[in-house]
Amino acid sequence: MIGPFSDAYSLILWRKTMNSKLGPFFDPRSVAIIGASAVPGKPGCEVIRNILANGYEGRIYPVNPKGGRIMEIDVLPAIEGLPPDVDVAVIILPAAATAQALVACAERGIRHFVLASGGFAEVDEAGALIQEELVRIIRERGLHVLGPNTSGHTSTPRAFTSTFFPQGKIRRGRVSYIAQTGNFGTHTLKYILTGEHFGVARVVGLGNKIGIDETDALEYLGADPETAAILIYIESFKRPLEFLKAAREITRRKPVVLLKSGATEAGRQAAMAHTAAMASPDRIVDGMLRQAGVVRVSDYTDLILAGKAFSMLPLPAGDGVSFLAPSGAMLATLSDFCVRLGLHIPPLEAENVKRLQDISPSYIRMRNPVDIWPAALSSGVESAYREGMEIVLQDPAVNAVVPVMMLTRETGVPDPAFIVDLAKKYPGKPILVTFSGARECMDEYKAALEPLGIPTFPEIEQPFEALSILVQCRRAMTRPR
Amino acid sequence: MDWIEKAVREGKPALNEYEAKQLLADFGIPICREALVPDGETAVKAAREFGYPVVLKAAGERIQHKTELGAVALNLKAGKEVREESRRLLAIAGCDGLIVQEMVRGERELVCGLIRDAQFGPCVMFGLGGTLTEIVADVVFRVAPLSAADALEMMEEIRTAKVLQAFRGQAPVDREALAGILVAVGAIGSQFEEIREIDINPVKIRPDGSPVAVDALVALRSAAAVRP
Repeated sequence: MIGPFSDAYSLILWRKTMNSKLGPFFDPRSVAIIGASAVPGKPGCEVIRNILANGYEGRIYPVNPKGGRIMEIDVLPAIEGLPPDVDVAVIILPAAATAQALVACAERGIRHFVLASGGFAEVDEAGALIQEELVRIIRERGLHVLGPNTSGHTSTPRAFTSTFFPQGKIRRGRVSYIAQTGNFGTHTLKYILTGEHFGVARVVGLGNKIGIDETDALEYLGADPETAAILIYIESFKRPLEFLKAAREITRRKPVVLLKSGATEAGRQAAMAHTAAMASPDRIVDGMLRQAGVVRVSDYTDLILAGKAFSMLPLPAGDGVSFLAPSGAMLATLSDFCVRLGLHIPPLEAENVKRLQDISPSYIRMRNPVDIWPAALSSGVESAYREGMEIVLQDPAVNAVVPVMMLTRETGVPDPAFIVDLAKKYPGKPILVTFSGARECMDEYKAALEPLGIPTFPEIEQPFEALSILVQCRRAMTRPR
Repeated sequence: MDWIEKAVREGKPALNEYEAKQLLADFGIPICREALVPDGETAVKAAREFGYPVVLKAAGERIQHKTELGAVALNLKAGKEVREESRRLLAIAGCDGLIVQEMVRGERELVCGLIRDAQFGPCVMFGLGGTLTEIVADVVFRVAPLSAADALEMMEEIRTAKVLQAFRGQAPVDREALAGILVAVGAIGSQFEEIREIDINPVKIRPDGSPVAVDALVALRSAAAVRP
């Protein structure tokens, strides 16, 4: 169960991790499911199915007064029967029964809990009272709690998940998510697993945040060697200043991207000063995030786009982008889009302009961005894109390249291997592929390229959105202190 | 700084402009040359010392947005004008003195400010200033305390960042000096719980690029809010 230690430093990191608030959540040697069920479709059944589907190697202790067996695992009839060394308990009971189960587990020495049920402060007054009771218990006993009302958490390096949403095997990857919403760990993750080719390292569903909050999760993932980039969806900050302090340091080592919903948390006082009149909560959060080096995004889809980009690409060294498109309209609108995103389309070195001109009919004036289709007509689609991409990849002002591949059976669909070759040859410069043409050809490219680490995007604006996030992260990483 | 506590104890809603600027000056923020005087004759004396033209303002802790009250007389070029305007300003309700200021040249006006956010505590604002500041609303915030790097970054973030470059024959803004103002405003907010809001509007940019606080408002919290 213990991670592979390549060196003493990794071992120290691991020890630190296991002693931390969150360590055991992500590397449990054993887990108890309080409220386990044999009935398919019930959360207490699906969570066990998920754990087994992921190939978890630790021990699983389902608990249900009815006893018996669930998926060939013996069920304990009572919490009191649990062995003394359970690392994590997942409690899936009605809100009203949760407090008692929490106390009983704590009596058995369990310190880490996932409280999966809803029905607490998010619902009504009675739920809020039960939640207060839980807060009192965890403070008194020093327990670490995820939730309540959480969609659970996932740790693919340990093949573990506490989610009850039917996920099956969750693909391992190098990005991690923190989400204050049940949407992410459930159906958004489902989409990523079924519609994309990247995976996740850790996923934390924060739920109502009575214990573990976004700052705890950020600190853990910031130190986590499995996590290369952190993506966050949040509605409110529980400890705003601590979040700022932690993020300020972490963003110098790894990218942190955040989407925040919800407008105001604080009532506005009557303003005497102009400053107060203009101090909207959104402006202040915006300033705080910039100070923290956290890249703020505004669309839910950005969480997926950026996750894909981080999973497959290096961070570009700068904001210089080149793209190759088959149409004047695309060249023009994408140029405007780059300006809006703060991406720079640098002029190419004279020698590279000349080389581009050499592959194109003379009636086209070649420059960055590259009008590639006349060259494709004269020298073939693959040859034109390959040569064109290589020329711009070699230009020192270009930090990333986006080919808009025009693909139809009629015009010819080149073997996408040439893009893989270029990515290998220029490993420091991200290549993001997008398309125009026949959907089936795009899908073929996606299926061929993404498992090899080249991201593709069906809509032509998306690679630029993803790239702009990467550029901002690089800037945050290298910003002056 | 006992006088800030004293002002809170006395239930004053704000420092008067002269006190406000003295506070800023104590934190190293450059302020324009000015004097607080009781009447027209002493105003003329101060004006001669500064050199004409001068600005004359009504002073009083209830006088906050002076333009709206007609409590500012700009560009006074001689003793006669200073005397006349002194009479007019002293007649404004709540006016208990006069501020004589050098007339700061320069066309660019910025704003620096402070608020106390319920979640983040003291936060510093920077943006395009002047009378249109709330309409243009080209401002950015940072949580105090600020590093100099934070302050320099704020200058890049406003939409009208070009105003900080060389402008109509005037020098680029001294960014280090401007950053110093923003860092100091944050420090004031962190040090004085009693201060609820600060507006320095405008921070004028002299033709040589140096920033100077020309007008300032320091709003105070009620005694109850400071010590519940």
